[in-house]
Amino acid sequence: MFHFISKRLKHSLVLLFLASLVCFTLVVSAPGNVAVLIAELRGAVATPGYVEQVAEEIGLNKPLLMRYVDWLGDAVRGNFGISYRTGQDVSADLAARMSVTGILIAGGAVIATLLSLALGFLGALWPYRVPDRVSRGLALLGASTPTFFVGALMIYGFSVHFQLLPSFGFNGPQSWILPWLTVSVLPAAVLSRVVRVGLEETMASPFVLTAKSKGLGRTAILFRDALPNITPIFINALGTQVGLMTATAIIVEPLFAWQGLGDYFLAGVRFRDFMVVQACLLIFLTFFILVNLIVDLAVLLTDPRIRRQWS
Amino acid sequence: MSVKRRTFLQGTAGAIGLAMAQGALSKIVYAQGAAGTLRVAIAKPAGNLDPQSHYAIWAIQDLMFEPLVKYGKGGQIEPCLATDWKIEDGGKTLHLTLREGVKFQDGTKFDAAACKWNLERWMGIDQFSWMNCSKHFQSLEVVDDYHITVHFKEPVLALMQELSYTRPTRFLSPKSVDADGKFKEPVGTGPWVQISADDTQSVFEHYDGYWGDKPTYERLEAKVIPDARSRVAALRAGEIDLVGGFWIAPLTPEEGKQLEAAGFNVVVDPGNVTLVMAFNPDRAEPLKDPQVRKAVSIGIDRAAISKVLYHGYAKPAGNMFSAALPYAGKQFDAPVRDAAAASALLEKAGWTGSPIRSKDGKPLTLELVVSPDAVPGSRVIAEVIQSEMKEIGIDLVIRSVDHASKHTDMLEQKYDLGFFLTYGAPYDPFGSLVALCLSTFKNDVEGKLVTDPVNLDPLINAATAATGDQIQPTIQKVYDWLRDNDAIAPLVYVPSIWAHSKRVQGFTSPVTEYDMPYENIVLAE
Repeated sequence: MFHFISKRLKHSLVLLFLASLVCFTLVVSAPGNVAVLIAELRGAVATPGYVEQVAEEIGLNKPLLMRYVDWLGDAVRGNFGISYRTGQDVSADLAARMSVTGILIAGGAVIATLLSLALGFLGALWPYRVPDRVSRGLALLGASTPTFFVGALMIYGFSVHFQLLPSFGFNGPQSWILPWLTVSVLPAAVLSRVVRVGLEETMASPFVLTAKSKGLGRTAILFRDALPNITPIFINALGTQVGLMTATAIIVEPLFAWQGLGDYFLAGVRFRDFMVVQACLLIFLTFFILVNLIVDLAVLLTDPRIRRQWS
Repeated sequence: MSVKRRTFLQGTAGAIGLAMAQGALSKIVYAQGAAGTLRVAIAKPAGNLDPQSHYAIWAIQDLMFEPLVKYGKGGQIEPCLATDWKIEDGGKTLHLTLREGVKFQDGTKFDAAACKWNLERWMGIDQFSWMNCSKHFQSLEVVDDYHITVHFKEPVLALMQELSYTRPTRFLSPKSVDADGKFKEPVGTGPWVQISADDTQSVFEHYDGYWGDKPTYERLEAKVIPDARSRVAALRAGEIDLVGGFWIAPLTPEEGKQLEAAGFNVVVDPGNVTLVMAFNPDRAEPLKDPQVRKAVSIGIDRAAISKVLYHGYAKPAGNMFSAALPYAGKQFDAPVRDAAAASALLEKAGWTGSPIRSKDGKPLTLELVVSPDAVPGSRVIAEVIQSEMKEIGIDLVIRSVDHASKHTDMLEQKYDLGFFLTYGAPYDPFGSLVALCLSTFKNDVEGKLVTDPVNLDPLINAATAATGDQIQPTIQKVYDWLRDNDAIAPLVYVPSIWAHSKRVQGFTSPVTEYDMPYENIVLAE
């Protein structure tokens, strides 16, 4: 097992290095001159030569390789530089915003888990009957509705029409409900199908027949025997969905005026704020790699077959 | 190591619950009561408020920092921290009388010493040489506690207008900087004191020692809402009271109409920024011919753009600057679309055939570069113009780019046709004329709307050198040249749209797009 963990850690480090290379290359190869944008941001009329001065100031005139090495060295030490747009320390901004995105994703993941289990069980308890069809319909609807539209609908319904919940910002715990629901709709839809199909497959297993022969009811078998059996596949699917939620956060945070990493990344892209974009991309990729690592370890812990394979 | 699956599930659920509860408790911020509070939407956090830096939202700086003089309606210069001023020595000397009894929000007296300290933070410094009063600054002397004299090397064009700008000209308490003179906290003489600020909102309370008319309400909260749809929803949900403005938290004309239909008060200012189409004859051979430029110009239906795309909020433009600005020149009606006359002009210029005209075997194809990030709605306007051009035999190709690429392309002149926005009050007309039309002024940010070193430069130079009664006739020659040569095609005067709830009474849109409209407002509770 330690062999497995050490191998996965090595893979993760290589992936992280490649990810840093990719995100640096992508960001610097984007068209447009960031020095011009900054000059525009700093004053209505730029003085002659001001753009060159800005380019010099932010190190745009250095060779690309040197810029990459400088940036990676600083990033490893936790220093992501100064934002071109705001002049503030990117690491401090990231630290402040990470908790917002963390709460959004964690809350979304919990709601998605609960909703998907509820929908999945609804289908599994009454297979091919009305509840199963309703559950499948909801999953299809959830998976095919764009997140920004879900968010807009939530705001219209709960904030504008019924005026029950705040539409933006942090105005108490009730402020989290709409962003959490918005971010969880798509993963809940996908995961509910994982639960439903997983339960159906498990219910066709010989051990279920044994359980039935002992006189256990369908509901009891589903909860006691089938649920633990689908845990590894559910964790795998949940890991992927949590990773993808970082992309959803980019849409949801600006919509609800949540100042998280998604909102920060978006503003960075809009103004070609290289330092911010590179830092955010690296954090997103690190998060993705980390989630995958945790998922693999969780699956290892919950699935005796995999444990036997690596022992 | 062996863990039962059930134990794992229970443990994980418990850990997540605990983490959530901890996060929840640390993040709870209960809403402030709205009574006596004006809640305004801003599109991004206020940022570093140092009046000499260039990061913050201008309208937020306007709440705390005051200028020597204010830019009033129609470009009228009004007293603020200076009660009187006199320009002598052919425009090279400025005598200022300062307002007595003014105190900064930290209790520091505003007098000639504080004024000198502030002016010397930016006047004569290279970084601010884009302002003529900084570029030509020579010396400054304190006459007595409330009188100051500033000497310039050359007469300063639009001197008092420059002194009304939001930055770097506004006044900061000398005690609000550290020992190295570095900005520490925002303390001005204005009616609002900053109580707190973060990425989610900036909160202000009114300054009891303010020398002028104090706001009738206690508190102003500027809420950061980056998404335009969310701003509209927040207003409709009653969570904010005021939204809009060209730079503060813009509303699209569609959103304005929706809010009007929902019963909100929508205030539209005709605006003092003009959307202008630029021709680039250096890249597009056909545009060297003034007849082709005129055909393009009169082939555009400005009235339809104003009515349909701006929902009637915008006015078609016949001039580079609207009458709302000083020295805007003789005003002409916007050209009315005349497809037959445009076709005739193209025929006369030798462009014949259909559906796309050609000359010497070359089709009449022009590329219009648009950036919806830089000019909201420009993609749709471009598509309307594309179909109108097709009717007169011009193949218009639209290339849509993002904000950053737009800057590069405009600077490198990689366009045949492009959209420009003039700067608006208080910078215009001289700001846009010099920066966008004078070939000798290096503008590395926007690029050039039109240049002609031989014919246009002398006219602009004469206008900027003129004083007193001579300004109007000399600047008119610039406008006449632009018009006679069809050098540019002004399209619409871009409106500034504001919407507010019923709580807000007495709202008037601000004079410039850089001011916060907090004055005159009374909150109905």
